[in-house]
Amino acid sequence: MRKMLFELNGTKAVAEMLEDVVPKTCDAVWKILPVEGMSIHANWASREIMLHLAGDKILRLPAEGQLRRTTAPGDIVYFWRSPQMSRGKQLAYGAQFQRELSEFAIFYGEPAGGGLAAEDPPRTGRDSNLQVSTLFARFIDAPAEFLRKCEEIRHRGLQKLVVTRLEG
Amino acid sequence: MRITLGGVDAIAELDERDAPETTRWLKGILPIERQAVHSMENGREVYVVLDGAQRVPDENQTIYQTVGDLFVYYKPAIFVQPEWPRDVRDYLVVGFVYERDSAIRGMSGALATNLVGRITEGLDGLAHEAPRMRREGFGKMKISLAS
Repeated sequence: MRKMLFELNGTKAVAEMLEDVVPKTCDAVWKILPVEGMSIHANWASREIMLHLAGDKILRLPAEGQLRRTTAPGDIVYFWRSPQMSRGKQLAYGAQFQRELSEFAIFYGEPAGGGLAAEDPPRTGRDSNLQVSTLFARFIDAPAEFLRKCEEIRHRGLQKLVVTRLEG
Repeated sequence: MRITLGGVDAIAELDERDAPETTRWLKGILPIERQAVHSMENGREVYVVLDGAQRVPDENQTIYQTVGDLFVYYKPAIFVQPEWPRDVRDYLVVGFVYERDSAIRGMSGALATNLVGRITEGLDGLAHEAPRMRREGFGKMKISLAS
């Protein structure tokens, strides 16, 4: 299985791709690596940080794999939201993410995916094509220090996150 | 009441008629200044955690919070700290909603909150300061009686 390295504020974590379950999504993500940007903390989905995909890194992928109701700590999800599915003003996001949004959603702790995001049907994509949410990787090594840095984003603001291929 | 978040001030009018006990209690603990926290589960909510053992009674409750509402409620501890003391079930918080696409949630659905007032001035300032702090880091929030 292919692996990805996540580097956040001096800490590192390793995730394994679920290429046996969602091969097309994994291939597409693999091709755009490395990716870096300023990660921001979720305000609907509980313990999640997001890395928005910008410029030539933006991905517009179809849904793949089973629909899931729950998200677990350690899950890494490809998420896309159509331009017509705005969530009101997104003043905390960069200007290019105000409408269409493509991102890695990185669930680092408990509760993962709880709160408002878990029970809002239009946001699940179950009945519309307004968004895509595909679980494509899971952390296999995420030290406590890395998880603590994720939580800190909530309180201290954006932090640079770099995602690269882990080969060899 | 005056709410100071980072560099902006707002004024909230307390609903002393419909929430007499909660507003009396709240006025009694002011002024307070605490670390402001942005919700990670409810949308555009900012709150501070209050200490003290006193239980605030359920009063003037709603599960349909709207922009500008000021409320007091018990937030599940897991949404406050990643390594929360396991004997603590919830924390008493006072907070507000500054933008739509927000609703207060517990572990399994809507959570009733004591509606204690409405922000009547400066809401737009809060609606810009809170996202700025999401990007740059959260500071303190001060709540005091307006003169």
